[in-house]
Amino acid sequence: MRGVTHLLDSRPSATASRVALIASALAVLALLLTPLAALGRSFDSSGALLHISGQLLNTGGDLAAPLAQPALLLPLAWATLALFVATIFGAARRERWFWITALLAFLAALAALVVLDRTLADAAANVSHLSLRAGAKRALRNFYGGGGMNMGLFVPLLAGLIAAGAGLSARQVWWERFNRLRGLLVPAAAIALAILVGALIVLVVQPPINSSGHALGLWGGWLSHTDLVYFVYSTLFAPITRLNPLLDSLKLATPLIFTGLSVAFAFRAGLFNIGAPGQLTMGAVAAMLVGVYGPESLGWLLAPLTVIAAGAGGALWGAIPGWLKARFGSSEVINTIMLNYIASGIFIFLIGSNTFPLFGQQRSLPFKAPGDEAQSYELHPGARLPTLLQLLNVGTPDQMKLSLGWLFALAAYLLARLFMRRSGALIPVVLALVVGALTWRVGVAVNIEGSQLNLAFLLALLCAALFGTLMWRTATGYALRAVGLSPKAAEYGGISVAKNTVLAMTLAGMFAGLAGTHYVQGGALDSYRLKGNMPVNVGFDGIAVALMGQSTPLGVVASSALFGTIDTGGVDVSIKMTGLNRDIVTVLKALVVMFIAAGGFLSRRVTDPPAPVLLKAAGATGKAENAPVVPPAQEGAVSASGLPNVARSSEENTREGGK
Amino acid sequence: MDSVLSQIISVTFLVTFIRSVTPLLLTGLGGLFSERSGVVNIALDGLIIFGALAGAVVTQVTEPRLGALAPWLGWVTGALVAGFIAWIHAVLSIRYRADQVISGTAINLLASGVPSVILAALYGTSTESPKVTNPLPLWGMGDLKFSPPVYFAALMVPVAWYVLYRTPYGLRLRATGEQPGAAASMGVNVQRMRYSAVILSGMLAGTAGVFMSVGNLSAYTRNMSAGMGFIALAALIFGQWKPLGVLGATLLFGFLQALSLTLDGRDILPSSLVTVLPYLITILVLVFTGRSAAPGALGKPYGDR
Repeated sequence: MRGVTHLLDSRPSATASRVALIASALAVLALLLTPLAALGRSFDSSGALLHISGQLLNTGGDLAAPLAQPALLLPLAWATLALFVATIFGAARRERWFWITALLAFLAALAALVVLDRTLADAAANVSHLSLRAGAKRALRNFYGGGGMNMGLFVPLLAGLIAAGAGLSARQVWWERFNRLRGLLVPAAAIALAILVGALIVLVVQPPINSSGHALGLWGGWLSHTDLVYFVYSTLFAPITRLNPLLDSLKLATPLIFTGLSVAFAFRAGLFNIGAPGQLTMGAVAAMLVGVYGPESLGWLLAPLTVIAAGAGGALWGAIPGWLKARFGSSEVINTIMLNYIASGIFIFLIGSNTFPLFGQQRSLPFKAPGDEAQSYELHPGARLPTLLQLLNVGTPDQMKLSLGWLFALAAYLLARLFMRRSGALIPVVLALVVGALTWRVGVAVNIEGSQLNLAFLLALLCAALFGTLMWRTATGYALRAVGLSPKAAEYGGISVAKNTVLAMTLAGMFAGLAGTHYVQGGALDSYRLKGNMPVNVGFDGIAVALMGQSTPLGVVASSALFGTIDTGGVDVSIKMTGLNRDIVTVLKALVVMFIAAGGFLSRRVTDPPAPVLLKAAGATGKAENAPVVPPAQEGAVSASGLPNVARSSEENTREGGK
Repeated sequence: MDSVLSQIISVTFLVTFIRSVTPLLLTGLGGLFSERSGVVNIALDGLIIFGALAGAVVTQVTEPRLGALAPWLGWVTGALVAGFIAWIHAVLSIRYRADQVISGTAINLLASGVPSVILAALYGTSTESPKVTNPLPLWGMGDLKFSPPVYFAALMVPVAWYVLYRTPYGLRLRATGEQPGAAASMGVNVQRMRYSAVILSGMLAGTAGVFMSVGNLSAYTRNMSAGMGFIALAALIFGQWKPLGVLGATLLFGFLQALSLTLDGRDILPSSLVTVLPYLITILVLVFTGRSAAPGALGKPYGDR
């Protein structure tokens, strides 16, 4: 361990060398034992798998056309392999140079990938010259398009970067750069572990695809199994690479940002908000009430009013458990769960039926729209939120032109911040607004299917900014965090634990309630109403999002985007696979939460190393190995992931607040 | 109104009542062991689901060969599977010192995803398992017939009381939950006590699940626990972490559930609001309970990192 934090010599530390060694060994194994690439993939997901030995395994039926022949692919793969072997030797002897071979290995693998993609693209382009029927041509084009790298190329790419980074960490500059990213270790380890366990589940429940009609044998079976795992995950993460699925992903990410912020906000104050589903429901109900029954004469002013209503509905539903905790000391964990069920009861009561029995009489309710489906009436047009495409379109409705003004504005803001560090935020913001307004009419023509990604997405980003400002730039946020870290110390310092508990839960509820705007005002469920099939479970996903984002606004946004992506990809997986359905994504999220709870099984000395000051003191007496790793005072107050220890602090909250 | 009253004082209502109490009681007693050892077990709800699923699937798979014995095997497997899942919770929160609420939530999230993945792989649907033809038998006389887990649950109350207060194991368990340091200094293996208690709680919650799937309904359906595990947790708090207290609290909550089942479909109150009653009462009950009797070390990891 000494080597990690002590840079006494410039050789890579023992730990870093071991990391590089393991990564390179895995890369070598992947190169030798898994398919390098799929040269094509049919509609039924069977493909032509290429191994590094040049062997071809065709799990599909007969092919109508010759396979693409990426001439340089195999030599490059062998070069990658050789470079990794060199890296292994270098890492084993803790040589200074092994980052170079690792980086070269990465570049060789990258070159192989480029060659492969170029060849496949050429093959797809050549299809039009073949004399085939139109349908067969399309099938063939899709076949080439479905090809791409496989496990045998993907693992080396990743391992090359990791090994190069490990080698570079011997240099002070790089070490400091990596050190700043240390917070990402636990989520990254958790995701990696979740993907590993998920792969095992995939292998158990989904037989490998083989439509070739004959048995694959032991080796072929192994290759097709590894291909299956790679294919499932590449399908899950595929939406990042194309524009329309990316917009869908962001649409699914929007409510996750809201609920993730909600859970994260409560976390920061030492509270565990499992009530995001209920708060979301009440926010959506409130938005429906104002949006449908508010005065239409207000015009577009009704939209902000409806947004406020959604926030207020959620805030109310969050304030109740907060107040119960502050006043009576009853656990917010149980109360928020109970309020979820109550909210769902109210929701069904309001829009499930037009009539309800009351002591033998039938009373009528005005909220449900006629028809079989449980849904409210449509919102006034003024209460709706425009989609981002409508907002950014500066062309005609027929030929969309996306405005680039916001990009210019963003660039102007960033540049201004970079060059005018002293002047605060005001001038850059003004500058960005001016630049944005001037360049608004500049647009590029795009071809996008209708997407319901709407203004609620920007609202979510705004909420993330509000979260960050409030929590780290104001006295209120300071008080909230103090309560989260140590209620007793906060109380002693004159901060009211009870007041901040209520405040934290109210604001957490507000964030979750605003997710209702996405569903009701944004038309995310394809109509501008409150609908019975609103997926309230995104409230529970908020827990995973908050944990993976380490309860920071930026982390929440990033992990929401990731979860939105695999949610979108999950639909594709359940379409393409017979034995898998989209709930594999739910399992992955649960596994992520589980592994983050365990700190990614990483040692605390890795995730949360002692301050250099402490080590120096210990090192001076020559006891670096036995240095106290954690000052005892910190223990329990902050868990490895940087989250307040919820169970403990909530109990103390209770004792303090319950008096 | 009279008709409602007469309905409540009837044999049918009694049967519904006892059936509603049973899973709550089993789960509550399970939670009792876990929390008396100092481990918060919010995973109970998920454990019920795992038990229910494993019980139903094993019964369904083995009944062509085993016939009437199949549900018993299903019971055992359901308890073992839930015990295994509880062991995961235990490893995370004891060995890896995870936040116990978060670790439990992870199990609950897992329980919302894994069943449908398994059902899709086995039966091609994601919502429910096929009905079993051999559910657990009904024992009793006349209209008062119950499946064996009901009697098992009733038996578990005195057993839990005896184990907790009259055996060395119980003494060590309580000491572990109150003052782990003191217990350890007397030679008690705190970690092992906690592992055993959490696994036991999983097996009891799993039994509750088996009762719901193979005892009551003869199939697993999605989200069949309906928050039962959380209500049991509330009953545990209301019962002040004591076996007899848990019995009393689960009787109350079971009565409310039976009441809402009886009122449902009648024209007194809208059914969507009636089903909400137990949850509402749970909140009210927690207001009047507080946490004064909570085990001293509840939720705190013990031991070196």
